[in-house]
Amino acid sequence: MSRNKPAKRPRLTNEGFLGRLNFFFARALINIRQNIFIHLVTIGTIAIALLIISLFLLVYVNLEGAADVWSNRVQVTAYFERELNQQEITTLKTGILALSGTDKVAYVAREEAVKRFRARLKGQESLLDGVTADVLPASIEINLKSGSRSSEAIEAYVVRLKKIPGISEVQYGEEWVKRFTAFMNFMRLVGALLGGFLLLAVVFIVSNTIKLTIYARKDELELLSLVGATRFFIKAPFLIEGIFQGALGALLSLLVLTACYFGFLHNAGNFVSFNPASVGLSFLPVTHLAGVFFGGVCLGFLGSLTSLKRFINV
Amino acid sequence: MVQLHNVFMSYQRDVAALNGINLTIPKGDFVFITGVSGAGKSTLLKLLYGALQPSRGQVVVDGQNVTRLSRAQIPYLRRNIGVVFQDFKLLPNRTVLENVAITLEVLGWGKKDIGKKVYHILKQLGLEHKINSTPLRLSGGEQQRVALARALVNDPKILLADEPTGNLDEENKEQILAIFKEANIRGTTVLVATHDRRLTENCHRRMVVLEKGQVVEDSDVPQ
Repeated sequence: MSRNKPAKRPRLTNEGFLGRLNFFFARALINIRQNIFIHLVTIGTIAIALLIISLFLLVYVNLEGAADVWSNRVQVTAYFERELNQQEITTLKTGILALSGTDKVAYVAREEAVKRFRARLKGQESLLDGVTADVLPASIEINLKSGSRSSEAIEAYVVRLKKIPGISEVQYGEEWVKRFTAFMNFMRLVGALLGGFLLLAVVFIVSNTIKLTIYARKDELELLSLVGATRFFIKAPFLIEGIFQGALGALLSLLVLTACYFGFLHNAGNFVSFNPASVGLSFLPVTHLAGVFFGGVCLGFLGSLTSLKRFINV
Repeated sequence: MVQLHNVFMSYQRDVAALNGINLTIPKGDFVFITGVSGAGKSTLLKLLYGALQPSRGQVVVDGQNVTRLSRAQIPYLRRNIGVVFQDFKLLPNRTVLENVAITLEVLGWGKKDIGKKVYHILKQLGLEHKINSTPLRLSGGEQQRVALARALVNDPKILLADEPTGNLDEENKEQILAIFKEANIRGTTVLVATHDRRLTENCHRRMVVLEKGQVVEDSDVPQ
């Protein structure tokens, strides 16, 4: 019998970056097929976890939207004792629009102010009988951009506004704005805390599920290291599987979320006494959907990476 | 091929698994490492394929000082060492072909070459008809032969076997022993750790007896 000769170097099909990538992808797909139950459990867990996060985001985004609608009521009004002429109005409007934070500017003449007052007193217009337009002052109403509607931002805005020549008396419902800002800050804090805890719980549950699934395959890891596989060779297919699980889990969660949302919209009229469309309910914006998807991918990848570290002792 | 210089190994303080081992195994040798359970046989083998690092001393395998290898270098050492265990360590959800192919996939062999080489080794071990079976459908002896095929498929320089016949009947033991002998004839250095006296008695080879982590007997039986 012949003695061992140096082994002939065989053809390496997975040489080079693309060849290796191809091999790892093929290996990952075979692994998924061979461990289908474990993968389904992980994908299901990721999907449920991300669905919880997505539902939370959906509620949060809609609350923020509602808050933005309410904050539209914030209006800064500058009053004038006399009617302004067209040139004065134009000069003032230009000056105000130049201030950062200004969204819209409208001049309200005395006549217009009385008309509005009369409209508010619907049914009791007689109270204004004999009252002339001179009673109410002319004014300029300023709507602010959404980022400039907090109590502090308005205060700073008013200081800048008063520096414009011709503007002295300014009102903006200070108390209401302060209360509204405090309420919104509180809501955001609660949202951040709740979201943070949810995220922690989700990361904990998903990483432990992945850890358990990798633990179930620790013999495979041990064997690969025994036959001389490098750490990268062992990890790569598992990481690809992790990314795959994360992506599929995220897609599944978004599908269920979409179905739930539109199912709710479709049926809301039957069990809730409001029309969801009329109150401005909206679905998650594309950026948030992409965020959930990439969050899922990262969750799968990082969950696998941290779990593998524990089981590979090459 | 294998040298151990004054090797100490302890898992816990004050309890030495290996206690000052000095051992030289030349290339192409066939050695039985024997001793009762807990004598240090498995620990010695683990040191050779880099699964453990000694507390003290030097371990040289195939010209490489294992104690000085980095973690990244250990896999390359293992590519020249075949290892088999009492519990076979086969992957139950993969076929015999896939189980044996792992060794060659790690080395980066192409799919066609893997198929040919695996078939060839399985044929040598009389298992070619089981190539598409999963391990659970095989007998204990067949499973151990698959494990041996996995260990030998890349023609390793060293074959380490840790109680390879522990789960087998007499007939299968003989078969496994014959495979070891054949691998040795082809030039592979073989180290078999066993406490099975009958196995060593039937095969007149060098025998290193361990007791409480020390070499108490090293009989170089002429072949």
